[in-house]
Order: sequence, then C-alpha cells, then structure tokens
Amino acid sequence: MFSSSVTRRRVAFAFVLPAFVLLLAISIYPLLRTLGLAFSSLELTVSPAESFVGFDNFAKAFQDVRFWNAMGNTLVLVIVGVAIQLVLGVGLALLLSEIGFTRVVWLTALLLPVMIAPVVSGFQFRVIYNDTFGPLNYLIKTISGGFVTGPPWLADTRTALLTIMMTDVWQWTPFMMLLALAGLESIPVELTEAAEVDGAGYWGAFWRIKIPILLPVIVIGLLIRVMDTFKTFDLVFLLTGGGPGSSTETIAFYTYLNGFRFFSMGYTAAIAFIQLIVIIVIARIFLVVQKRMRGGEIQ
Amino acid sequence: MLKKVFFLAVALALLALPALAQDAPPRLNVVDYDLCGDFGGVTVTVVGDAGHNLAPYHFWADDFAAMGITIEIIEVPFADVYQVLKTEFVAGSGAFDVVTFYPSYIGDFAGNGYLLPLDDLMAREPASVWDPNMDDVLAPFRELYNKWGGQTYALTIDGDVLVMMYRADLFSNEDEKAAFMEQYGRELRPPETWSEWLEVAEFFTRDAGETLAGEVLTQPFYGTAEFGRRGFSYAWYLNRAASNGVMLFDEQMNPGINSPEAVAALQNMIDTLKFAPPDVLNFGYDELRDAFIGGQLAMVVQWTDVPKKAADPSISRIAGKVGVGRVPGFEVGGEVAHRSMMPVGRVVGVAADSDVPEAAYCVAKHIAYNTSLENVSTSLTGLDPYRMLHLTHPEAFAPLMGQENAEAYLAGLQVALADGYPDLFIPGAAQYQDALDIQVNRALAGEVSAQEALDAVAAAWNEITDRLGRDTQVAFWQQALESYRALGLVK
Amino acid sequence: MRKKKPLYLRIIMGVILMVALIFFLFPVMWMFLTSFKTQDQIFSTPPILIPPAEQWNLDNYVAVMRDNKGLQGVRDTTIVAFSTALISVSIGALAAYSLARFRFGGDEFSFWIISTRMFPPVASAIPLFLIFRQLEILDTHWVLIIANSVFNVPFAVWLLKGFIEDLPVELEEAALIEGASIFGAFWRITLPLITPGLVTAFLFTFVFTWNEFMFALLMTRRAVRPMTVVISSLAGGHTILWAQIAAAGVITIIPGVLVVIFLQRYIVRGLTMGALKN
Repeated sequence: MFSSSVTRRRVAFAFVLPAFVLLLAISIYPLLRTLGLAFSSLELTVSPAESFVGFDNFAKAFQDVRFWNAMGNTLVLVIVGVAIQLVLGVGLALLLSEIGFTRVVWLTALLLPVMIAPVVSGFQFRVIYNDTFGPLNYLIKTISGGFVTGPPWLADTRTALLTIMMTDVWQWTPFMMLLALAGLESIPVELTEAAEVDGAGYWGAFWRIKIPILLPVIVIGLLIRVMDTFKTFDLVFLLTGGGPGSSTETIAFYTYLNGFRFFSMGYTAAIAFIQLIVIIVIARIFLVVQKRMRGGEIQ
Repeated sequence: MLKKVFFLAVALALLALPALAQDAPPRLNVVDYDLCGDFGGVTVTVVGDAGHNLAPYHFWADDFAAMGITIEIIEVPFADVYQVLKTEFVAGSGAFDVVTFYPSYIGDFAGNGYLLPLDDLMAREPASVWDPNMDDVLAPFRELYNKWGGQTYALTIDGDVLVMMYRADLFSNEDEKAAFMEQYGRELRPPETWSEWLEVAEFFTRDAGETLAGEVLTQPFYGTAEFGRRGFSYAWYLNRAASNGVMLFDEQMNPGINSPEAVAALQNMIDTLKFAPPDVLNFGYDELRDAFIGGQLAMVVQWTDVPKKAADPSISRIAGKVGVGRVPGFEVGGEVAHRSMMPVGRVVGVAADSDVPEAAYCVAKHIAYNTSLENVSTSLTGLDPYRMLHLTHPEAFAPLMGQENAEAYLAGLQVALADGYPDLFIPGAAQYQDALDIQVNRALAGEVSAQEALDAVAAAWNEITDRLGRDTQVAFWQQALESYRALGLVK
Repeated sequence: MRKKKPLYLRIIMGVILMVALIFFLFPVMWMFLTSFKTQDQIFSTPPILIPPAEQWNLDNYVAVMRDNKGLQGVRDTTIVAFSTALISVSIGALAAYSLARFRFGGDEFSFWIISTRMFPPVASAIPLFLIFRQLEILDTHWVLIIANSVFNVPFAVWLLKGFIEDLPVELEEAALIEGASIFGAFWRITLPLITPGLVTAFLFTFVFTWNEFMFALLMTRRAVRPMTVVISSLAGGHTILWAQIAAAGVITIIPGVLVVIFLQRYIVRGLTMGALKN
C-alpha cells in the first residue's frame, strides 16, 4: 500500500503526536509524584515533611473499613447504575432512530439532563427529594389520593444510595443514548432492511445486525461511564455529604476528604492508585470484548 | 429559529444592564477611629467565602482609598475555602494578602507558618491607629479562635454560636400547659435539661388531624429536629456531650469520647429523632431553619442568625412567637451545665508571604475593629456579633428588628456566648471532626449503636493522632487545654 | 421505504417515550420554575410548583448574571469549553485514525491513552497546580483548556477510534490507490463518514468541560471565574440562593442546546449513506 513501512510508521506517528505530547507532558509528573507519595507519609496539616513508609499506606487501606464501604457503594453505582443507563440509553436510541422529522425535538429534550452541571442539578434534587418541602413526595401523595407515601429518599440508609443512583441515571442515560444513536446512524439502512426482508424480523435484525455494529461504540461508552462513575463526587457532596451514616460515601468522596479536607497526601495517593488498578482491571475486561470487534487495518 | 433569537435577545439584554452600585448601610457614626497613613497606592488582595460576608470591604471602600489601598477580592465558594487556601499556601503562590478562614484551621495555618504573627503590629504606636481593641472581643473568640502558641494570628470578624429557639406561643398556651402537667406531672417550660428536651419533644409531636394549641393540624407537627446531615451533626452532638462533662481528650490525648457520659449524650440525640420529621437525617442548616420558621417544629437548636430570620414576617410563619434560650444541658453533680457549640465563625489573618504586610494588617484590622458594629448589625451581611461593643448597642440593630427585639436578641446571644464551647482547633481538626461526625451520623441512622459508634471514634482519633505525630499533637492539645482552662471550660 | 410497524408496537413506543420524557424533563422543569421563585418560596409546605403569575420576570436572572458575576462565568466557561472541545476533537481524531488504521503502538499504547483519564483527579490536582504555577498560567483560560483537554482527549480518541473501526477500510484503500495521500484519505473519506462521531465527541467534550468544577475551582482566582465556580459561590454558609442557582442552571443549558440544534443535522441518517454510496 505505501512506499515503505518507514513512511507508514512516520505518518502514524505524526497523527498521534499532538495527543501524545499533551498527555505525556501533563500527566507524567503528577503520576510519578503521586506514585512516590503512595509510599510516603505526608501530612500537610502538620508539616511539609515527607518520609518514606514503604507499603504502610496500602496496608492501612486494606484494613480501612470506610475505604471498603466506599468501594462497595461505588461498585453498586458502577455496576447497577451504569447497567441501567446502558439499557435505557440503547432502548431510547432505538426508539429515536425510528422517529422521523420530530426527532430533533425529542433528542434535544432528552439530552437536557446531561447539559445541566452537577453543581446545579445537585441543588435541584436536594429540594425535589425533600420529604417535607419537596415536590416528589407531594406529587406521589396527591396523585395517589393520599394512599402512597414516598420514602424519605435521601434520609434513609436503605434508599439514599439508590436515590443517588437514580439521579446519576437521570443525568447520564442521555449520554449512552446519544452514543448509541450515533452508532446506529452509521449502520447502512440496507443492511437492516435486507435482514428484515430475509424474514429475520425486527428483533432478528436487531440482534444480528444492529447490536454487533453498535457494540464497539457501546463498549467505549460503557468504559467512559464506568470511569466517570468511579469519580461520583458532586452529587454525593451536594445531596447527602456521604450520609446518612456511611450509606452514600463513595470512593471519590472519601478520596476527596483525605486529599482536600485532611491533606493526608500519602494515603490519598495510595487509595488513588488502588482505584486506578481496579479501573484498569475492569477496563481490561471490557477491552477483551472490544478487541474481538475490531475493524480492518490498513496493510 | 425563534428560540435562538429569543436566547440571543436575552443574552444581549443582560449584557446591556449597567453594573449595580454596591449597597452600604447608613453610617452609624457610633465609633471613632483613626486610619493608617497613606500607603501610596498599594494593592491588597483579600480572599474569603463568596457572597455577602465580603460586603464590608465595600462598606469601608472610602477609608481604604484614603489609606492609598486598592482592594482586590478573590471570592471562593463557601464549601471550598479551606482546600483553595491550603493548596495556594502549600504551593507558596503568594496570591493572597488578607485571608478569611474558619478558626478551626488556625492551628493548621499558624502552625505551618502561613500566617504573620500580628502582635508587633498590634502593639505599634499610636494605639488609636494600630490597636484592634482585643480586650473588647468576647473571650472565647479572642482566646481560642485568634491565638496560636501564645501569639495572635487572626482577628475575629464573625461570631458564631448555637442557641435554643422555641415556640413561645405554644409553651404559654393554657391548654397545652394543662395537658403537659397531666401527662408528665410538672410545669411545661422550655427545656433546661436534655431529658426535659426529650419529654417536651415527645409531648409536642402530633399527627395531622390532632389539635395543637386549639387548632386542628393539617400536617404533622414535630417536637424538634436536629442537624442530621453529615457535616455538622457532630456539633449538635457535642452540645450534649460537652454539657455532660465529656472531655474530648485527656491530658495525654487519650480519647474521652467513648465514656458512659458520652454514650448517654449520643443516646439522647438518637432518642430525639423519634420526635423529628422523617427526613431529619438529611436536614442541613436550610432545612432545619425552614422547618422551624415554617411552623413545623416546637423547638430547635440553631445558629444565632436564625432568630433574626424567624422575626421577619415576610419569610417566617412564626414571627413574634419565638423565644430564645440557653441550649439545654445535662445535670452533673446536682447542677445543670450548659454548653453551646461555636462551629464555623470567621477570622482574618495576614499571609506570611504578603508583599504588603502593613497595609494588609490595616485592612484586616479595619474590618475587625469596633467599626465592625456596622458590619454585624445589617442584613447586608451574614456576620454575627463578637464584641462587647456589639452586645451593648442594641440601637444599631433596631432598624433591622426593632429596639425591643434587638435587646432580647443581644441578651440571648450574651447568654449563649457565656455557655460557648469551642470547635476543635488543633492541627488535623477537620480529621477529628469528620471521624466523629461520620460515627455520630451512623449511630443516628441506626447503622451502629451509640457505644459502637463512639468506640470507633476513639479508635479513629488514636489512629489520626499517631499518624500526625503523637508527641506534637499532645503538645498542641495541652496548649489548647491551657486556653480552655483560662476560660473555665475545664478545671 | 421502511415497513410500517404494527399498531401495538407504535403505542408501546409512544408510551415509553412519554414516560422517559417525564422522567428526564421533570427536574428540568422544576429548575425552570424555581428560577422564578422568591427565596421564601423554595421551602414551603405544600411545595409551590408554579410561582404566581406576577413573578414571571427575569429578576433572578438579572441578579445572577449582573450582580453575581454570571456574565463573566458564561464568558469564561464558553471560551474554555469551546476551545477544549475543538482541541480535543481535532487532535483526538488524528490520534484515533492512527490507532485504528495503523495500530500505532498497539493495544498498550491505546490503553495508556485512556488510562490518563482514569486517575482520580483529587490525587493529581496538587502536582498539576505546581506545574501550572511554574508555567505561570494559573488564573488564565489556558490553564483550564489544558487541564480539561488532558481529560477529554482520551475520551475523543477512544470514541472516534470506535467509529473509525466501524468503517470498512476498503473505502480509504480505494482512495489511496487513486493517488490520495494518507492525510487526504483521512480528510476526504474518513472524517465525513464519522461526522456523527465527531459531533458526538464535540458535544460531550464541550459538556464535560462546561460542567467541570474541581480544576475550575483550584486553578482560577479572579481574572477567570468559570460558571460552575460562580454557581457554587451562590451557596453560602447560611444562605443558599436557590432561585439564582436555578436561573444560572437555565442559562447554562442554553449553549448545550444551541450546540445540539446546530449540529443535530449531522447526526441524521442520509449524510453517512450518501457518502457510502459514492
């Protein structure tokens, strides 16, 4: 195809260079610095002195009940919450792809949640979920004629995490929806129509044609959502402060407390690296799927 | 298309609006003061929590101009002040001259050398220019929130303390009094002790359809509510614990937080929740305030700005029906000891690496000096009184709430401040507070028992002390104890 | 033409869409209504759903935009978000092409790129702060554009890589045989075909940056004050200006809506198909 593999490599490198330089320049120092800190004690509230402590920070993390509780809460949000976003998002995308000229209106309307900054939506939901003053339980009661009383959404350890999850689903399902829709748009109509004509029916065409083509895009969407859900902070900070009790303390919130409230930099670095490792493991699993779906390569 | 045109029009309309001149309260001219000399056009950068608490820098703009000082203000969201200040300090960026912060962090900021000791500047002659009149500042603020290691590093600009508020109309209602007498065999009165608090809370908790003071309730009414949300639930707990004689640590910094007295105090708070709205565990300052001034609670413990709001009929359904009293206490040795926590509050300091320390000091002093009577007596700020001078000038507050209310308010404040109990202010304070807060909150949420929760606090506190360096932390704590003793908070 | 769906299917679709619309729009409506309320109407029982007619004015909007520095916030955030989105999508598309079509650096290199987005920002914030301080770009638009690009380039690269991998490689190979340069094939064949992907990547890098708070908070002081910081500043210790926050929220969704309205036609079937047929 090309005059030589040298040219090919040079072109490939030139294409990737800007991204490479930017990412390397900005992320390498923080990464190395944090790696060093993970094996050090640095308590900035008392002194700027740093000392090497080996694996102490990691040992502490493994015994830290709050750390594991926060990990557990986060994994619930990641696994259950993102799964809901995936199903709802792809479902809505399929529906929208069937709609004709009014689609712009629907699309714009359904994308609104994603455009509202979490610092804004957090304050809205704090009122919406309020049992005493909020509209949600008021409407539940009014519409049901007084028979159903809504739970104290954020004030009960049994519902608070689910409520945070519901809010996250509200905010980010549109993200999955638009990704899936964009993926669906790149499927040639002829393919699905041919399949349907062949007698595969709507669902047959859906599973055989649409899903395989959608899969790479969906996997990337999922990967991004998993990574970002691991960082769930704003909603927790604004809606519950991690409570009641420890029921909504997420790992990002706990990391924030250690980093920006306690300025316990060694421990913060250690738990940051544990998170990184967990996310890498999850990402690797996703990418096994992604790899199987890879498209053609220019030879 | 129409939509776009509309948005564009709105955007343009907003752009076209002239900038608003900053409001300032009318000058009271109660206080005489002299200004520092002319600094000849220096710029002083002030950092503080965004919003109305920075308004005094506008009130006194003419005086700063007269001193040849240009003020540049950096506004930081309230919840993020500490992390922003600390990051800039750690990086040694030198971005600030005057720093506004919460006194809990004085040990951190002064101990790490971020702040300039002010004693030399305060002692300069002539005193009419340099002396901030510290003797007039109420003792808890002066001794606990301004000093570190025997030196003054900060000047108070906002006094915060908790008080009890109650529905005076309900407590004086004859039907209710009779019913209470019948049920509990004693007179109905605003609770003096935390066990009375429980009884009164139970008494006033009613379902919709029941009667309260002769009126049929259309919605449930509750005896009380607490700050149940993570963040400050520990302060509502410490009101109880401190009055029950609990010392956070002993001399050697062994936690005293899981003593039987401490557990009893927490159990009292847990029991109170039965007489609170169902979502009390997500009540922060706003919910707690509005549930009370919306007429749904019989009594509540709150910051001292809430009585001002409860007296305002445009936002309050209970204007004119509110009594202010001492936060209840526990009976210890036949006497009721009252303790009111003093969470938050604001102080200003001068950054150690400021290029213009003298000008910065003059700015800080001018905001904190006797002149502050005008800052704390207006609705244009959220600052609360902290000087004797403030407490003895009700006429300054009269335009806001009327002479009579002002006198009652300041009297209540004085009583509450006399019971004042400080937030922790040694380095690492935020960690100790958080460790306490989460466990108190877990106990309130029923995740663990009171004893388990406080045992966990003790363990967490020991871990924090060890991690930060036990020897130095003990020394800091003993130094803090000195101040506690000076104020008579401990024997 | 597509076959018409059976009636029952269309009814089910309609119902699902209506339910979805209520779920997703109720909070947005609530925010819109709140933006016309007064401070004492926020917490009342029973809640006030629709503010009284005489209150349907722009007072809260004026207050937040003029008195509380919303204009500066919108200006700064718009500059930062547009620049970040533009940079991320541009260099992201290039990198994505190289990764997809040349397998540059193999899987591990791709993975390294995405992994730069995985690290918890709290841990890297202070080292980043020190770097930016050395570069003397704190409190400028640049610092936020760079910091946000670091988080958004990996997203753009991976998203676009997915879209490029979906394309049949034969189209580009045909162009190359006809004498096009690699960049020419990328520019004239690949980019038009992945327009939906480009638009999606642009929209989300824009939105991610628009909504970002932590860097906005730490890396700016006075000269630059992004909207998320302005909005957070409306929540003081004892006074949360709920209605102004809602008004600011309504204003902040306008750019996103405009981006969708302007770009939605590129997410529409037909463009892609036309290109494929040629």
